Amino acid sequence: MCGIAGVIYKDKKTHLVGEALTSMLESLQHRGPDSAGYAIYGGLDFTENYYQLNIEVKRRRGALDNLKSLLTQFSPIFEEQFIESVGGSDVYKCKIALDEFSLLQPCIQEIDELDNVCVINGSHSFEMIKDIGKVKDIAQRFDVQNRMGTHGIGHTRFATESGVDRYHAHPYQSYIIPDITVVHNGQITNYWKIRDPLERKGHTFESFNDTECIVHYMADKLNQGYKLEEALDQAVIDLDGPFSILVGTPNGIGIAKDKLGLRPGVMVETDEIFAVASEEMALHDVTDSNQIEQIAPGETRAYTI
Amino acid sequence: MKEHIIDAKDMDEKELNRTIKEHAVSYDKLIINNPESRHNICAGLTEEVNIEINGSAGYFVGTMVNGSKIHINGNAGWFAGDNMTEGELIIEGTAGDGAGQGIYGGTVIVKGSTGSRTGEIMKGGTVIIGGNSGYMTGLLMMGGKLIILGDVTDDVGESIMRGTIYVLGNVKSLGKNAVMDNATSDDQKELKEILTEYGFELTDIDYTNFKKIVNMQ
Repeated sequence: MCGIAGVIYKDKKTHLVGEALTSMLESLQHRGPDSAGYAIYGGLDFTENYYQLNIEVKRRRGALDNLKSLLTQFSPIFEEQFIESVGGSDVYKCKIALDEFSLLQPCIQEIDELDNVCVINGSHSFEMIKDIGKVKDIAQRFDVQNRMGTHGIGHTRFATESGVDRYHAHPYQSYIIPDITVVHNGQITNYWKIRDPLERKGHTFESFNDTECIVHYMADKLNQGYKLEEALDQAVIDLDGPFSILVGTPNGIGIAKDKLGLRPGVMVETDEIFAVASEEMALHDVTDSNQIEQIAPGETRAYTI
Repeated sequence: MKEHIIDAKDMDEKELNRTIKEHAVSYDKLIINNPESRHNICAGLTEEVNIEINGSAGYFVGTMVNGSKIHINGNAGWFAGDNMTEGELIIEGTAGDGAGQGIYGGTVIVKGSTGSRTGEIMKGGTVIIGGNSGYMTGLLMMGGKLIILGDVTDDVGESIMRGTIYVLGNVKSLGKNAVMDNATSDDQKELKEILTEYGFELTDIDYTNFKKIVNMQ
């Protein structure tokens, strides 16, 4: 199953996006109990060179010290937070500065070579929060309810492939261009046909999860100059299998549904918001409007601010 | 007519269905407010009671109903009316995939459009869609009537065995085992009776435009 949800506020001002997405994802909890995640845009007040890293740290002696020691070789650590979690590991969140975006992925790859740590993500204009367990617990653990932003996407995962862990929770992101995220309900059946050419172009895959494949695909299209709507339209043509894909960018969100309409998706648009979700009940958490629309097979919808 | 109002706002699915079943034996009509798209509303209801749902329902609304009449002033999620044996489910808005899936009898009406696989594996009864219907409409149909007033997309009647699909709008493509012909005058007469009963206003010319899709044998 899996549940997907996204909301964007048309006034371009910051709102309690974390609270809105948490309500939506709690309504979709029955669609996926394994893990949950958020990508909240517009809340980080970062200047050009700052990046936020979320890193899983196993409870092993020296793991955090080794991590910090390596991090300081890249950049001073400007802010840091340690969040106790579950599953024998915790999350270390920090703010670093890099001269340019292209240095972010090599930095992450070097950190990943350390024992007992795994980089969950590195972002510039959005905040990624993802963890194993129920939405309510994750929201409380990471204080998601108070996260402000202009828009965001979220996910509750019912794992049907790859691991049930923090890294394989959605959203996924790509490092080819900054801050593109994807959550997904479904399966991509022509995975290797999509992945092989992307790898040849230089996309680095960290897992065998098909959602990671989608985010690289979307990043590749956006990098080629496609608009979000155009990239989604092309995804419907190129990707096989049942899917509802929800994409987040620094200035918008967009959804695509497979040609056969085998995964659910509904949306609502009012004067204030544009919101999408797997089920209607999640939309009622963010609007009183009854103008709910079923997203048709092969249809794509996007809203950018 | 004895009526009772149920406010579903703070109820979970099981509590709501328990409350509906308890009151269905002593009231003629139950009005359910604040359904908030909960799943499985009225699942397995067997009382001859009228249910009015003010708002949208989630997946499997009216599943396995036998004899109840449910009217939804809103939308429905996937598999509305699944496995109904007798009764009526009327949805004023749209429905997701699989509306009328596997019904043995009764009537499922969606005034708006539906998703894919509408009326799949239905064995009897009638399903009426006021708008368009998606991929593989009437998949593996084994009986009953499926009436679409709008357009249908690809593979209509895929692997249909028995039963009839009537389409007023455009048919993009037929599925395996399916053939299409014009509706006969007897078909048109029967369609008019059914659709008039449920308040659909079509012209005489409309009835002559119905296409009939059945198993090729």
